[in-house]
Amino acid sequence: MRESDAILESYDESVKNGLRTILATVVHVKGSSYRAAGARMLVDEYGYMTGAISGGCLEGDALRKALLALEQNRNKLVTYDTSDEDDAVIGAQLGCNGIIQVLFEPVDPANDLNPVELLRRANNKNKTYALASIFNLNKREHQQGTSLLIDETGSITSETNDESLSEAIYDVAVSTIKKRVNHFGEYVSKSGTQHAFIDVIPPPHSLVLVGAGNDSQVLSEMARHLGWSVTVADGRPSHANEKRFSNCQVVVANPESILDDIEINESTAVVLMTHNYNYDLAVLKLLLDFNELTYIGILGPNKKHRRMFRDLRNEGIILNEKHHAKIYAPVGLQVGAETPAEIGLSILSEIQAVLTGSDVKHLREIDGSIHQKDQYQFEKVQL
Amino acid sequence: MKNSTKTYLDYNATTPVDERVLEAMIPFFTWSFGNASSKDHIFGWESADAVDVAREQVADLIGATANEIYFTSGATEAINLGLRGFCSANKSEGNHIITCKTEHKAVLETCQSLEESGFDVTYLDVGQNGDVDLTELESSISSETLLVCLMHANNETGVINPVKEIAELCRSKGVPFFSDATQSVGKLPVDVKEIGADMIAFSSHKLYGPKGAGGLYITGENKPTINPLFTGGGQEKGLRPGTLNVPAIVGFGKACEICENELVADAERHIDLRNYIEEKLIELFDVSINGNSKDRLPQTTNVQFRNIDSTHLLRRLRNLAVSRGSACSSATSQPSHVLTAMGLSADEAMSSIRIGLGRFTTHKDVESAIREFEDVIPQLKPVAG
Repeated sequence: MRESDAILESYDESVKNGLRTILATVVHVKGSSYRAAGARMLVDEYGYMTGAISGGCLEGDALRKALLALEQNRNKLVTYDTSDEDDAVIGAQLGCNGIIQVLFEPVDPANDLNPVELLRRANNKNKTYALASIFNLNKREHQQGTSLLIDETGSITSETNDESLSEAIYDVAVSTIKKRVNHFGEYVSKSGTQHAFIDVIPPPHSLVLVGAGNDSQVLSEMARHLGWSVTVADGRPSHANEKRFSNCQVVVANPESILDDIEINESTAVVLMTHNYNYDLAVLKLLLDFNELTYIGILGPNKKHRRMFRDLRNEGIILNEKHHAKIYAPVGLQVGAETPAEIGLSILSEIQAVLTGSDVKHLREIDGSIHQKDQYQFEKVQL
Repeated sequence: MKNSTKTYLDYNATTPVDERVLEAMIPFFTWSFGNASSKDHIFGWESADAVDVAREQVADLIGATANEIYFTSGATEAINLGLRGFCSANKSEGNHIITCKTEHKAVLETCQSLEESGFDVTYLDVGQNGDVDLTELESSISSETLLVCLMHANNETGVINPVKEIAELCRSKGVPFFSDATQSVGKLPVDVKEIGADMIAFSSHKLYGPKGAGGLYITGENKPTINPLFTGGGQEKGLRPGTLNVPAIVGFGKACEICENELVADAERHIDLRNYIEEKLIELFDVSINGNSKDRLPQTTNVQFRNIDSTHLLRRLRNLAVSRGSACSSATSQPSHVLTAMGLSADEAMSSIRIGLGRFTTHKDVESAIREFEDVIPQLKPVAG
């Protein structure tokens, strides 16, 4: 389950039981940390935590800060400096060396634009969103909180009454969504300085498995652990059914019509693995028309996809560079995979890398931050 | 700051608590009285949160990060923790400490005590303006040198040491540098990163905060190892155990925040007032200014009234609070160790007084101080000499 899904579920449960909650969000990191900005954690009034803002070293103290924010009923910004190994309070024994800013926000269920509800809106659609958390590095100042949601069409949901700030963040967010990179801004006006973290939240990864064999079954289970939504499509009801694929959308259809009911966007990966050459070929032909699709994996040896390309060419369908760029055949990374689960790992690793735009390499080969979203410099914006 | 008709010009000894500081502290004496180490209830969380804020306010004033600040009961404790704690943790690395004859007693007495436990201490001389000779410092550093301890600004004369150059020299020799910045923090812009000191001690009550709180800055970059002086409940990362003095720490923090905003303007005003008082005293009496030609604190002057016994002078100045120097030694009638180290004779040192201006000193205060001198000095018999 995705962290945000878990947070929303836990929030709904808490509200149902009349429990108050606080949302903690990592809004800035300087140096290295276990979790990047955008990590979130929900704490209920009993101290039960869903999600995580660190590898565990901050959670103990964060719990007390969360409960204090709840008691005081106001947002709080807390700095964790994990560079000091002698600090037993946060016990930063991971060897992290970073300064982490965490925003704690008591959540008011009566407000349907509270931070969790904004997160729900950002989480629940087929679009990419920018969720802005406004804070002030001077902790003695008012911490406005998570209060602006902008979608890729430019539509805005706002919980702030500071219009000039809101407009400035809006402008930044629109370009931030396009670039798909989080943004840290320092907004300077005559009345003072505010900071905002703009978290770009793409649609959840979705995986379309064409083929409902036993290897698909393993792959679907593994993908569910990652919080991806999984659709399984096959022509055989004996294979593609809810019993074999619980928690998946199951589509039983001819290859020509299987994509009719499947949502495909930039966060979708499709893997052709029916073990039926003609079925896979027919679906591949349809997929070539989906420009937003960035990943098509084809299970099978080189011989198979070369034959597919040849047969398409014979039909007058010439694959262009863009097509070739998104086709991963044979599917998967070289990780020595043999068993169905190992092959699943190889395929999912490749999809994760492609959908997040990451170069595949050992982390030890990387200098600096190992997080993708590592552009943590505050950009100055004059209001 | 007035005590009926009396004028207080001894701000180097201590300062009154700024009312804004007092206001910030009051809740922490009464309803927000929790132990900052209480983890299970809001009283504790609130106190811990207030200490976090104060730690940032203190850190901001000196350009440090909050995790480099350790709260103590005052500068003396911070100095003891820094010097003894460092020496005890690093004694295998060497046994030589370098300090200076004009340091505050908190440093000198601690160094003497370390000498008794086997460390060698070099006490550097100063020139007639109170300045440390960097060549002498450099030649004193040996492979056995564990630590250099030199103050930022002198408490009696206000003379400022070139701490940045000292820090650079120490770094080039691989020796950590400790500085007692009790007199400068809050009066001068102090940036520990720019200076490059490894440890800095300072105090709340010198900068309009309450007595009973102080700070030790320990750099987070190549953090030196320091042993605690006593054991307890692990507060201040185990380095300074004991229940935190939350109201004083809150006041210390607030006082630092105010200094950060106001110290430049205060300093400009103080320089004008000090220049005025010095010019007037020179015009009216046979006086000279000790440490005059060096960089000095903006609000401090040390004045030698030739052939006047300062003990008699002070007793006559019934409406003016000035002093003979360090508040710690003023119960005794010894000539100041700082002034004699600068080459003054015992008599000259005994003829000198320190005037310390502060945030609440007005031009009127300075005028009445000058009038008080005018009234009193003609009544005093010149001492032989």
